[in-house]
Amino acid sequence: HRRLPAVIPTPPVSASPFPNPKSQYCCLSRNFSAALTPLLPVQLPSRMETHLWYVVPDEVKSAPLLSKYMELLPQSERDHVLGFRGDQLQKSALLARTLVRTTIARYQVDGHLDPRSLRFKRNIHGKPEVEWETKDGFCPPPLQFNISHTSSLVACGVTMNSLIGIDVEEKRRRTKNNILAFAKRYFTAHEVEHLNAIPDSELQQQEFIKLWTLKEAYVKALGKGFSSSPFNTFTIRVNTAAQQASSGIAVETLDSPQNLTNNWQFALLELMGSHYVAICLERQETGGAGKAFPIKLTARKTIPSVEDELVSGTNAVVTIGGSVTQF
Amino acid sequence: MAAASTSSFIPLKPRPTPRGLSTIAVLKLGAPLSFSFRRPVLAPARLRISCVAKPETVEKVAKVVKKQLALPAETLVTGDSKFAALGADSLDTVEIVMGLEEEFDISVEEDSAQSIATVQDAADLIEELVRKKCA
Repeated sequence: HRRLPAVIPTPPVSASPFPNPKSQYCCLSRNFSAALTPLLPVQLPSRMETHLWYVVPDEVKSAPLLSKYMELLPQSERDHVLGFRGDQLQKSALLARTLVRTTIARYQVDGHLDPRSLRFKRNIHGKPEVEWETKDGFCPPPLQFNISHTSSLVACGVTMNSLIGIDVEEKRRRTKNNILAFAKRYFTAHEVEHLNAIPDSELQQQEFIKLWTLKEAYVKALGKGFSSSPFNTFTIRVNTAAQQASSGIAVETLDSPQNLTNNWQFALLELMGSHYVAICLERQETGGAGKAFPIKLTARKTIPSVEDELVSGTNAVVTIGGSVTQF
Repeated sequence: MAAASTSSFIPLKPRPTPRGLSTIAVLKLGAPLSFSFRRPVLAPARLRISCVAKPETVEKVAKVVKKQLALPAETLVTGDSKFAALGADSLDTVEIVMGLEEEFDISVEEDSAQSIATVQDAADLIEELVRKKCA
């Protein structure tokens, strides 16, 4: 097993041309000793909106760019990134920290916000939050965020006010253990039944991954840590109604089975045909008679400080569960 | 931030810390900002167990971990190795615990499962459960 060179190099002393002139980053190579292009500012999401930002690690190949990202992080976060074993893990860890810092900085709630200047803390249960500076007259915005990453996708969800949890997973992720054995051990009886009823093993495996991401997203939205909501204490119910284009998703906790917990709304997306993204949001308002408004989603693919692409409403982002309107 | 701090050799492996200190280090630095925040800073308190696991147990845990994460057999996995740093996400961690339950014929509580961060944590927990079982 040959040891690969580190993806994250020492910053080069002088400019060197990018090996592949056709690379979309070739214009970057001429300027990389200068500052990166400024982050495009974005309006804060409205109370009813959710913003989803994601990075595809395989599309970020520029070593100088990754170096620049590393420079955005405080020493403790750099150490954390470097603590991961191997280039690929380090890269996705780096991109996750970069994505959260640059994304929040875009909302420019306090003039031009340098991603480097953001401080993070954890709530009493361990959920990461922004620690805004307390300055005179500065009211920190109630920006909520959550991140998830695999080696092939890094995603960040942002809302105003609503607690949010997101989880991403490759569609083709396989468990080492048998799915039903795993579900019997860790999921609820209803969920086991739901999986058991699927005859096709490929579909069953995909359904398992969908359930897993939805459950993760819920626990992350709650923000109280996994131990307060073990997976076998709540059921994710996926209802496929013939009349609706996509299924309704709801969570039911074991301690109050009669009441479907109405506080939480879910969305399940298929991203780029390769990943599932589950989003769980605290419900802010309901329409009449407890009916929920659909989730208003804006999705952007990004390479921070290089390019952004609005992808909501394209076939890069397909709603496969929950009530979602894409903008 | 001084440029010098980034211009020197960047090690790929963290310096190993003695086991007793690793917990303190995590607390002092405000805990690594891993997205498996479900292992809160308070988690180590749960795992203050009376005995330290035998090396054979650590070996067996390492074997289960390497299998789950499809790591080459020669990968160095020690008690200090963190699951997350080896590439385990939350699904891997739960699968590892399931593998350990089978290997050692024990049952791990869901909330304990999530507080396991290192190979040593797992080994210590296993020995505690085995000891209770045989008591």
